[in-house]
Amino acid sequence: MNRALFLSWRFLGSINLTVGLCLALTVNLIWGYFSLNRRTPLFTPLNDMGLIPWMQTYGVHNLAATGWFFLLMILLALLAGNTFVCTTNRVVQLLTAGSDGKGAGHRKWLALKLAPHIMHYGLIVILVGYLVSYLCTNVLTGRTLVPGFPLSLPGASGQVTLLAFEPEYYQGQRLAFWRNEVIAARARLLLDDGTAKQEAILSCTRPVRFQGYSLHLRNFAPKSQGGMKMKTRVDLYVRKDPGVALYLAGIALFTLGLALYVYEWVTHREATTE
Amino acid sequence: MAITSHSLFLLAGTLYGLALLAALAPDRRGLWAGMFLASGLAANLAVVAWRYHQAWPMLPMHLGAVALPLCLGLLVPFAASKSETAMARAVRRILLAQIVLLAGATLCFPKDFYLPFLKSRTLLAHGFLWFGLAGKSCFAVSTAWALAALPLFRSAIDHRQTAVAAMHRCQRWAALGFALWTLSMFAGELWSYLGWGTPVVWEDPALTLTMAAWFFYAGLLHLHLTRLWPLKSRALYASLGGLVLLALTCIPDFGPFRAPF
Repeated sequence: MNRALFLSWRFLGSINLTVGLCLALTVNLIWGYFSLNRRTPLFTPLNDMGLIPWMQTYGVHNLAATGWFFLLMILLALLAGNTFVCTTNRVVQLLTAGSDGKGAGHRKWLALKLAPHIMHYGLIVILVGYLVSYLCTNVLTGRTLVPGFPLSLPGASGQVTLLAFEPEYYQGQRLAFWRNEVIAARARLLLDDGTAKQEAILSCTRPVRFQGYSLHLRNFAPKSQGGMKMKTRVDLYVRKDPGVALYLAGIALFTLGLALYVYEWVTHREATTE
Repeated sequence: MAITSHSLFLLAGTLYGLALLAALAPDRRGLWAGMFLASGLAANLAVVAWRYHQAWPMLPMHLGAVALPLCLGLLVPFAASKSETAMARAVRRILLAQIVLLAGATLCFPKDFYLPFLKSRTLLAHGFLWFGLAGKSCFAVSTAWALAALPLFRSAIDHRQTAVAAMHRCQRWAALGFALWTLSMFAGELWSYLGWGTPVVWEDPALTLTMAAWFFYAGLLHLHLTRLWPLKSRALYASLGGLVLLALTCIPDFGPFRAPF
């Protein structure tokens, strides 16, 4: 058992495996582009259904177009394992070698040396975040807000009400095709959790969080001033996604490592290439 | 004849072509090449500004093909700076050739007929575009250094140091491009999350090519840092692979064929 674990650890810790996986992922994703192109309707439900139901339906029954995606899952899992083992090995070495030093200068040196490993751990957190997101997200499709009709969310005690849709219409001359059209959609919502009420603004790139759900603007009406009058309506993507915090944390971690690495590169490093 | 963004870009492409011809001339025509390049960049900048003027505060759609020659052209003076060696001249010529090819492809396969959309009215969308363009330009410079180094490996001993120096430049540009490309991807993911609730929007196949380029350069940086492969193999990987990736990542920004004249 221990020997199998040791061998697996050694296999996963190989830098040759890293390079091989990077190359395999490159080729796989290029294959993915040509499979995905013009077949996007096969993949669009992935965002709403989650990974497992999608694999069991669209995925398995269209293998010629989705095969690359299954391979991508395997390669990414291997890459996450490989990255974890390589990075952990190196971090242990660094911490052991650096355990004697003291003072601010030493801490700075250690932080700079750890920069690439922070990036690697950041990548793992991002990948885990995506996996959690695709496995555990609860997506409510077809939710629409109209004035005067509150929306209840499953498992949540409160309600969301559309107070007003306050779009900004374009009145300038520069964007000829946009004249009298909505240039900024803005919906004022009332969030009532049963004990307190508060207002929130929802717009195209400004979601609203409420009792674990995030509400994103999908579509709206009316779209223009004048012309055919349509009733006020705000369509939503409603998602309860436990992976968001993880992949945002991963992005922050990766960016921190990248900033440290670039700092070291600019100020210290003059590496040779041979 | 009315001045359109197409006619301006045609002018930019012609000036880029003249800059390349001047750079390829056997006698020293560096000044002419520089002047043609600067004029081409001015015309190209005007096209980009025009397209932005027609879309701001939203993102002009498929601006990448038009803006990439501009970004790459702006890097030419820095890509092979501090020296007037044969290697630096070769890198400049390769970069100019890439710019001419890109401009030619953009003129023949334009994709300038899409209107901008409301969800692109965020700085994250603009960050996604410009970090991506800057990153791709750095990758192109990295590819140019690797391509320029390739012939040196035929006579292994004499030019060893020059090849090492060239591959060092290749690595630095690849690392810079990788950092910018990563920032572009992160900006795209955040934008996607805020707008659609998910970091990956499967409606856009181009995301797979973005990720492919990221993994390709992650592999290249690991090869450079660990020196796992010999220098010549790394040069082949960076040059030929870089060219393929550059071409592939441009495909989504090209439309159907349209005669440029």
